[in-house]
Amino acid sequence: MSGIIIGNTLRTAWKQMLYWGLGLGLLGMYIVFIASNSDIVQGYADLFESLPPALLTAFGASSAEFFRTTEGWVVTILVSELALFLSVYAVLAGLAISANEEQSGILDVVLSLPISRRAFLLEKWLAYALLAFGTVLISALLPTLTAIGLGIDADIGIIFASILAVYPSALIVITVTVLLSTLFRRRIAAIGAVAAFVIGSYMSSIVGSSASGPIADLLETLSYFSHVGGESIVSGEYEPGGTLALLVAAGLGFALSAHLFDRRDIGT
Amino acid sequence: MAASSVIDIKGLSKIYGSGSKATVALDKLTLQVQPGEIFGYLGPNGAGKTTTIRVLLDLIRPSSGSASIFGMDARQQSVEIHQRIGFLPGELSLWQGRSGAQVIHYIASVRGDIKSIVKQAEELAARLKLDISKKVRDLSSGNKRKLGLVIAMMHSPDLLILDEPTNGLDPLVQQTFHELMNEFRDKGKTVFLSSHVLSEVQAICDRVGILRDGDLKAVQSVDALTDVKFRWVHVQFRDGVPAEVAQGLRNLPAVSEFNADGPHARMRLQGDFDPLLRTLGAGYVEQLHVEEPTLEDIFLAYYSGEGAGA
Repeated sequence: MSGIIIGNTLRTAWKQMLYWGLGLGLLGMYIVFIASNSDIVQGYADLFESLPPALLTAFGASSAEFFRTTEGWVVTILVSELALFLSVYAVLAGLAISANEEQSGILDVVLSLPISRRAFLLEKWLAYALLAFGTVLISALLPTLTAIGLGIDADIGIIFASILAVYPSALIVITVTVLLSTLFRRRIAAIGAVAAFVIGSYMSSIVGSSASGPIADLLETLSYFSHVGGESIVSGEYEPGGTLALLVAAGLGFALSAHLFDRRDIGT
Repeated sequence: MAASSVIDIKGLSKIYGSGSKATVALDKLTLQVQPGEIFGYLGPNGAGKTTTIRVLLDLIRPSSGSASIFGMDARQQSVEIHQRIGFLPGELSLWQGRSGAQVIHYIASVRGDIKSIVKQAEELAARLKLDISKKVRDLSSGNKRKLGLVIAMMHSPDLLILDEPTNGLDPLVQQTFHELMNEFRDKGKTVFLSSHVLSEVQAICDRVGILRDGDLKAVQSVDALTDVKFRWVHVQFRDGVPAEVAQGLRNLPAVSEFNADGPHARMRLQGDFDPLLRTLGAGYVEQLHVEEPTLEDIFLAYYSGEGAGA
């Protein structure tokens, strides 16, 4: 692994990282700005308290109590939206790893160079893993700095850490996109499959957390949204097991993708 | 023989799909390309030329058989092989938003030794009159082709694999391309090029393989391929083609495909001229023109199953 493809990918894709990070960061800033008004926070908390639990989970919280503190309010509102929007970025990043270049024919030129398929895929995956982290970091810094600037009465560290905890979910979506691109070869088929994965995972998270029973538990466990960790960070019950599971799953998913990519024909 | 071959393909088959949808793209192809030769790979669209090239580059995997380059397995040692080859795809796609210079720099950096490769690329670009400061999206199809040639040749590979290299190039640049290929061969290097432009193959290739429906019909030197026993004869008579001459020509076993149009007659002659000249003596011949068969004629002869000597 020479690192040349990583460097080249970072050079050519850093603007997307910046724009996505700024876009998501502005969303965070907006939510922090609203949270700076304690009357609004309490008003929302009262409203959410009147909602049935199933509807409450759609807002990313298992209890209305989370909306009583400013950091709880910010994290609960922001993290669930961020995880969803970041999934879109992650799908685009995953497609940029191999599917886009395979569809356009550029991969024919690249893979005629002295670089193995596995090394190529690994370098691109690492580059987009870094870019995704950069995106999450920017989207965490903007609301955090805004919260400091506005002097809101909240645990800023919790807000920052909760946003960063979204990162493993982005890595999962990137990896699943690469895996599906490897399996389906046709870009449009891969997009359809990964969209089904993201939406299915989101719905599983909502259904799983709002219902009870073994099937609901299984759905919740299978959804990557359930392992984002924002709520547990706010409640002080965060355990790294979920995050670690996502990172391990991403690593294994990538290894499988690289294996399949190495064995199949290139081109559509 | 095979041990010294630059390209050695043995019993190579490639089947796309399976069951009733299976398509045989290559059927037990066996072929060797020797060091220092320019090998032309001829065939119509869908004959299997690009499939062969993609197997050689390890972009696709064969259904059976093997391919080796420089004595190394095309699949197992693809990275080592790719270090020593230059490739121009038939349909070249590059990063639209980058300039030619950026593309060259990136590819040179993957190959290593950036400074000397970029210098060589700039020299090649100058010879091909290519402005590498332009973005790929702003290049015409001909200029993209030139950029592809620069990328394929800039690291002085030992083997060039070119898929329809002159597609979209204007005649002047084609001439430069021929010069580059001849210089390349003079350095003892090897070229494997696919083409359907037969005059180009005739101009620069040493040997030619003719492929049809995934089946290699013939491999011959260009000289042997063009050393055929027929010619096209054009005759212009003063007062139209006399009926007895036309009848006599039609009756000659050596003459076929006879056509008369006003004072002009055109025919295919196989064998000696003497019987033809004796028959023409019954009329007043103003002009006689003999045309050697083109590679297109030979190509068609192979495709019709007649072979070159037909």
